[in-house]
Amino acid sequence: MPDRLQQAITVLQTRFGSAAPRPAAPPCPARPTGIPELDALTGIGGWPVGRLSLLAGLRGSGKRTLAQHSIAAASREGPVAYVDMPGRLDPEFLSHFDARLDHLLVVRPKSMKEAMASVRVLARAGVDLIAIDLPRTRSSGLDAELPHLLHRAAEAECTLLLIHDADAEDAIRYYASLILSFQRSAWVFRRDGDLEGLQVDAAVVKNRLAPPGQTARWIIPYPIP
Amino acid sequence: MICCVRTPHPSLVAAWLTAPSLRGRPLILGGFAHERASVTTASAEARAQGVVEGMSLNQAQQFAPDATFQPVDEEATARVRQSLLLTLHHFTPDVAAGEDPGCAFLRLDRLVLRWPDRSRLLAAIGRAIDAAIRVRPAIGVASSMFVSQVAAAHATTTAPLIVEKENTRAFLARYRIDVLPLDDDLREYLELLGIKTIGRLQAISRPAFRRQFGQKALDVYDLAIGDDRRRLRPWRPAVRIEESEPLEPPVDNTQALQFIARALAERVSASLLTQGLGTRAIRIKLDQESAPALKIEVRFAYPMTTAGELFDGIRPRLLRASIVAPLERITLRAGRLEAAYVRQPGLLIRRDGFKESIADAVARLQEEYGPSLVQRAELRSDAAPLPDHRILWKPA
Repeated sequence: MPDRLQQAITVLQTRFGSAAPRPAAPPCPARPTGIPELDALTGIGGWPVGRLSLLAGLRGSGKRTLAQHSIAAASREGPVAYVDMPGRLDPEFLSHFDARLDHLLVVRPKSMKEAMASVRVLARAGVDLIAIDLPRTRSSGLDAELPHLLHRAAEAECTLLLIHDADAEDAIRYYASLILSFQRSAWVFRRDGDLEGLQVDAAVVKNRLAPPGQTARWIIPYPIP
Repeated sequence: MICCVRTPHPSLVAAWLTAPSLRGRPLILGGFAHERASVTTASAEARAQGVVEGMSLNQAQQFAPDATFQPVDEEATARVRQSLLLTLHHFTPDVAAGEDPGCAFLRLDRLVLRWPDRSRLLAAIGRAIDAAIRVRPAIGVASSMFVSQVAAAHATTTAPLIVEKENTRAFLARYRIDVLPLDDDLREYLELLGIKTIGRLQAISRPAFRRQFGQKALDVYDLAIGDDRRRLRPWRPAVRIEESEPLEPPVDNTQALQFIARALAERVSASLLTQGLGTRAIRIKLDQESAPALKIEVRFAYPMTTAGELFDGIRPRLLRASIVAPLERITLRAGRLEAAYVRQPGLLIRRDGFKESIADAVARLQEEYGPSLVQRAELRSDAAPLPDHRILWKPA
């Protein structure tokens, strides 16, 4: 921003307070996703810190694999947590992404209340990234908890990722700062016929921090042990 | 500068305080002469007759037949040690207990404004210790803990030994290598090479020493040249905040129990407030009439001080406690004490400056929802290739 424009804005802010002009999208720190294509797609270079990002898509669209890439990347930097409501997390698969399992806390709640309490407490305690894997069934109680959860996450500068198979509820769509929709466009096989990965089409459905509507296509390789 | 205050072994001091007539006479502590035990410590008069620590009591009696033999009074010894550290704590909070029970360290750097004259400060320390435990200490002052400890070992009770930083190498050079914390192999090796004083050791270069004795032995080399990187770990005086109430007649009514717990929480809170402390854990002990006592720990995310906050944590745990018999006594003890800073309720600033450690947060969640809520995964490479075998789930 030019200095003269900044000076003018400062003068207006001094005179008119909150009525003065301010940036439409305030700068937000980002945590790298572990995949350069996805970093570019978000528009800010990764998952927004202190905010909620939603990964939506049908089963087999690659969103959980992507989330696990991000968990693995973040676990190399500091403590991370995975709230595994459907009970689908495979630590061995995660370890193939070079995740540090000693930095990973796996939360296995019996109810949404337990899940939300765990996320609040762990975010507050300084966990850098929390992935919340929601069950397919309608997640009752989540919409009421989300404002408190986001407040805690913003305070603690914790990145929240929400993984949802079905269409997300209105409350989640409203509170999420970034919504990415995934769709599998093809399976990728090796010459010997083994499955190598999947080709994913991703679209930014909502983005409060950068222009939405971006699309990208890339191949997510499955880790080969 | 670090000051090392050296007194005789605290158990000797405790024995002298109990029986002043034992001063100046050979005294051996560790047990009575006929017992099959070893010498814990001995007075200078007994040492002069050849008694050393670790020697059997029978042997010690042969060396010093006129000595007095006594068992160690552990409680009195602990009191003497606490008293020594507390006395030094009045001068500065930068006090550390030494590994040698008769040694304590204090950092003098922050006392310059209060005590510009160092010799007066050292005299005041000596007088204060004499008043507290009736013993004149030997005091050594140097730039590091190790050098000050060596200085104190060679100082007298009347004249402190002060080693300025620039004289450290020269000061150490004159002593035998025995003052260094050497293991037997290294000592033997050095002596075989004819290195019997620290001065000879200092003459070797650091890379040459490492090549000859390995990386681990470098710590010893660094001490020999006066480079002690150990940090002074401050000692804090013990604070115990506990409130207890006997229940007569025994109580089996939850409402009454809550009422009493609330009153105790107020008393704990008052004690915390007077000392400017907050607690991160309240330990509740419920003595039952005809069953074992119940022990419950309530953890808090922040250091709590007010009675309302404490009781908010205590109440749900009391209601969930599996009490099987009428209660005879309830005790609340404040654990994990911290300074109670003024907390900001979050209206004006985003953070209140307090942070709970992840381990504490996990422990609190597990207390609330069970140990299986938060888990860690560990891969077992030697197990069968089945998910249940390959992954070991453990409570975090």
